[in-house]
Amino acid sequence: MADPHELTMDELRERIRAAGVTIPENRLAMVRKLLGDALAPVRALDSRTIRTVEPAVKFVAEPKEAGRE
Amino acid sequence: MSDEIFYATIRELGARYRKREISPVEVTRALLARIEKLDPLLHAFVTLTADRALEDARTAEAALRRGDENPLLGIPIAHKDIYLTRGIRTTGGSALFAEWVPDSDSTVVRRWQEAGTVLLGKLITHEFAFGLQFPGHKFPAARNPWNLDHIPGGSSSGSGAALAAGLVAGATGSDTGGSIRGPAAFCGIAGIKPTYGRSSRAGVMTLSWTLDHTGPMARTVEDCAFLLQAMAGHDPADPASSTVPVDDYLTPLRRGASGLTIGVPRNYFFEGVDAEIQRAFEEAMDTLRKLGAEVRDVRIPSLRGAMSFLLILMAEAYAYHERDLRERPELYGDVLRERLLAGALVSASEYTQAQRIRAEICAETAEVLRDVDLLATPTTPKPATPFTLAHDPEFAFPKSNMAPFNLTGLPTLALPCGVSSTGLPLSMQLSGRPFEEATVLRVGHAYEKATAWHTRRPPV
Repeated sequence: MADPHELTMDELRERIRAAGVTIPENRLAMVRKLLGDALAPVRALDSRTIRTVEPAVKFVAEPKEAGRE
Repeated sequence: MSDEIFYATIRELGARYRKREISPVEVTRALLARIEKLDPLLHAFVTLTADRALEDARTAEAALRRGDENPLLGIPIAHKDIYLTRGIRTTGGSALFAEWVPDSDSTVVRRWQEAGTVLLGKLITHEFAFGLQFPGHKFPAARNPWNLDHIPGGSSSGSGAALAAGLVAGATGSDTGGSIRGPAAFCGIAGIKPTYGRSSRAGVMTLSWTLDHTGPMARTVEDCAFLLQAMAGHDPADPASSTVPVDDYLTPLRRGASGLTIGVPRNYFFEGVDAEIQRAFEEAMDTLRKLGAEVRDVRIPSLRGAMSFLLILMAEAYAYHERDLRERPELYGDVLRERLLAGALVSASEYTQAQRIRAEICAETAEVLRDVDLLATPTTPKPATPFTLAHDPEFAFPKSNMAPFNLTGLPTLALPCGVSSTGLPLSMQLSGRPFEEATVLRVGHAYEKATAWHTRRPPV
């Protein structure tokens, strides 16, 4: 049975058509692998349960604790 | 001039300059001759700036005579060719900018210049810091001094090769998914990706705005500390630049690793790791224990989503290159063009979900770093890749041990910790809390003092 998260060649072609870009036939397998790997974590995610909702990265400088350099 | 000078540390060079045993002009002339001899094999340099280097060296000599104590005076360096240099072409490793001569310096270039460094030239980068130069490209790919049939890592490929071959004492790198630490690992040198926002990216070609970092590469951790000290600090020209004060990176190096707790995340980072890398890493942890550090296992479960980094990179890189890809696609290298175009296939929702996964990884890692001072991991799962494999267009973008620290923005140092049965360098990473570069460098320096991996020389 096919993996429901897998990026199929048909879906890849549909994405290429929708984006309006041209990718040569001999590079489709490479692009499918690259995009498939990149999409894997997102497709495995249940977007309703992930804990953190803010996408921003922020750092707050705090005073250093003694003994912690 | 002996190899001893080509591999001298920044501290050693400075001491010899000040004792008048040798001069920056003599060192510069010797290095230019060495580059002329070795670079036809290595392809580390894309542009050599001999006249500028000699001019810089003479300026440094004059400053030394005046008693100027800047530690970088007369230190021979080169810049990755995505750092803009005024009056010196900046190619980005691409035919698109093959003859472009910027009219301003990047902030880091200017800061190192003001510190008195000697600029030997520009170092080849993977095309736009993302695409290895395939055969037939406008610029040849750099080769690994440890074995010319292997890649030196990328994208700071020329920086890694030039340092390992003793052609420069310091170099700039940039790191979006490991482009400082990968070449450091494959070439047996050190490199630090500072905290996101610590070192300016103004005047450095963009690959991915939220993942890009600039940082130094060198042959020792202490040299990295000297170079980072001169490049770190707020820059209003970089919107992500931090106003957090810059620590002293040199003085704490003497304090050793005693009393610090090091966490080893046992999930994610050890999947697919070669047995000899794992062995070298465990031996490194034993060394750190002997130096007085506590080493214990930790877990960061959200790292299962770490490949979301690739989705973010692809979408942002496409956004940056979109117009040139549409108008001048023929000037992009083979394979890189399609890699970049793949970013056009990412939806807005997918990009946003990837950033949410990133935020969870950041939060979990921050929690772990409340209990430990540092994280230690193998830098790469395998030693340097052979060109025969890397030049296969179907060669997948490998799982990365480095990318999690681009997602989290945490300061991360790569340094040598062993050698493979085939003679290739092995490396570990040390990562710290935001803006705690001093702690990362301190432990890396303590490890270096207790071992000799960083003193090995390639057979060039």
